[in-house]
Amino acid sequence: MNRTAPRPFSLLAEVTHRCPLHCPYCSNPLQLAPSRGELATEDWKRVLVQAAELGVLHVGFSGGEPLQRPDLAQLVAAAREAGLYSNLITSSLGLSRQRLEELKRAGLDSIQISFQSDEAALADRIAGVSAHEKKLQAARLVREFDFPLTINAVLHRGNIGRLEQIISLAESLGAERLELANTQYYGWAFKNRGALLPSREEIERAVEIAGAAKKRLLGKMELLFVVPDYYSDRPKPCMNGWGQKHITVNPIGEVLPCPTAHEIPSLRFDNVREKSLAWIWRESEAFNRFRGTEWMPDPCRSCEFREVDFGGCRCQAALITGDAAVTDPACQFSPQREVLTRFVESSQDGRTEFSDGGRELVFRQNAGG
Amino acid sequence: MQLPPSDMRPKLSSRARLQTDKVTGKPIVLYPEGVLMLNPTGHAIVSLCTGEATFEQMVAKLAARYKISAQEISPQVAEYLNRLRERNLLETRDGSENGK
Repeated sequence: MNRTAPRPFSLLAEVTHRCPLHCPYCSNPLQLAPSRGELATEDWKRVLVQAAELGVLHVGFSGGEPLQRPDLAQLVAAAREAGLYSNLITSSLGLSRQRLEELKRAGLDSIQISFQSDEAALADRIAGVSAHEKKLQAARLVREFDFPLTINAVLHRGNIGRLEQIISLAESLGAERLELANTQYYGWAFKNRGALLPSREEIERAVEIAGAAKKRLLGKMELLFVVPDYYSDRPKPCMNGWGQKHITVNPIGEVLPCPTAHEIPSLRFDNVREKSLAWIWRESEAFNRFRGTEWMPDPCRSCEFREVDFGGCRCQAALITGDAAVTDPACQFSPQREVLTRFVESSQDGRTEFSDGGRELVFRQNAGG
Repeated sequence: MQLPPSDMRPKLSSRARLQTDKVTGKPIVLYPEGVLMLNPTGHAIVSLCTGEATFEQMVAKLAARYKISAQEISPQVAEYLNRLRERNLLETRDGSENGK
C-alpha cells in the first residue's frame, strides 16, 4: 500500500484499438481489444472527471485510432469541462471538416498527426494502406481550424534516412511541435525489431540532423528527439518513474502504469468499471509494484542514477530478460546488457531493407468484432 | 539582456491556456505536453500577455504594482517573455509577425 502516491499529471485514454493503419512498429499489444469490449461513453466521462480530481492536467485521446469512436467529441467536451488540456493523437484518417468542427466546439486543445515518411510511396508502404495524401489534407485542415499541430514521426530503418525531408514537411505544414520518435520496441515493434532497427551510423547522423534543426527552429517549432535506447549507455527514465506521473486506461478499462505494461505477464490490472481511478492509482498492486526505489535489485539499488532513470523500463526488462524486476538491459551496468548488444549486432548482419518490400515485417492486424 | 521593441504586444499563444490548478489553487499555463506552474510575478506578467498592452505599457503596470522603477524591472520582464517565447508560448505583435 502506498498512501503517499505522488500526483499524476497525464492520462492516456486509449479509447479503441481499432485502426485503419497497419504500421509494423505499433506499440499496441499483439492481443488487441475487440470493439465489443470497449468502455461506454459514460465510463470514459467518469474516468475523465476522476482523473482531473486526482490532479491530472493533460489527457491524450489515443488508440488505435480514436476517430473510430463516434462519441469522441462528447469525451473531449467532458475533458474540457473537467479542466483537462486535451490532445487528439491520430492518424488523421477520418478527420473530416465536419469532425473538426465538432471537436473545435467540444473544446479540443491540440492535435497530433502521425506521418510515416515525407513522401507517399514509402509512407503508404509503412502504413500498409494508402494514407499519406489524406494526412496532408487533414494537416492543412487542422491549421485552417487554428488547432496547434504536432507532427509525430516514428523513426526506423525504413525512414531514418529521410529525416531532413520529414523535418521540412513538418515546417511546411505549420506544425508547432515535431516529435521524432525512434521506435520503442514493444508490441508489434518488438516482434519486428530485427527488421526495424537502424544502424549506429544511421542513428548518429539522425542525432546530428535533429540537433541542428532544434537550434534553427527554436521559438518556431518545438522539436523532440526520442533516442533509441538499444544504442544508448543509459536507460531511458521510463514514464519518469513507475506510478509517478502517468496513467494509461486501455480500451476495455484496464488501468496501466505505462501504455505497454501488458508486456509484464505477472501484472494484473484493475479496471475502471470496478474501482475508482484514485484507488487504482494509490492502492493497486500494479501501480505499487515498481513505485519508488524499494523494489530495486543491484546494480540499481546502490546506483547514483537510481533517482535519475529509475532503473529504466520495466517492460523492456521483462521482454529481454523475462524478469520485470531487474535493471533495464539498455543500461551499461546491467548484467544482461550483452544480450541487447548481441541482438543489435545480429540485426545489422545481412540486414534486409524496406526497399526489398519489407518482406520480413509482420503488419498489424485488427482484432475481430 | 536585450530588451524587445517597446511597441511589441505580447500575446499568449493560442496553444496555451491559463487556468487555476484544481489541486493547488495556483495559476498554471497548459500547453501541448507541458505545464508551467506560475509564481505571483509570472502570473502578473502572463496575465498582461493579451495582445493589447505593449511591452512598455506592461513594464509600467508591473513597475507600479511592485513599486520599483521601470528601468529596474524591464530586463526581468524581457527575460520572462523570452523564456515563454522559447517554449513557443508567445505571439508577439509589432507589425511584423515576430516569433511565430
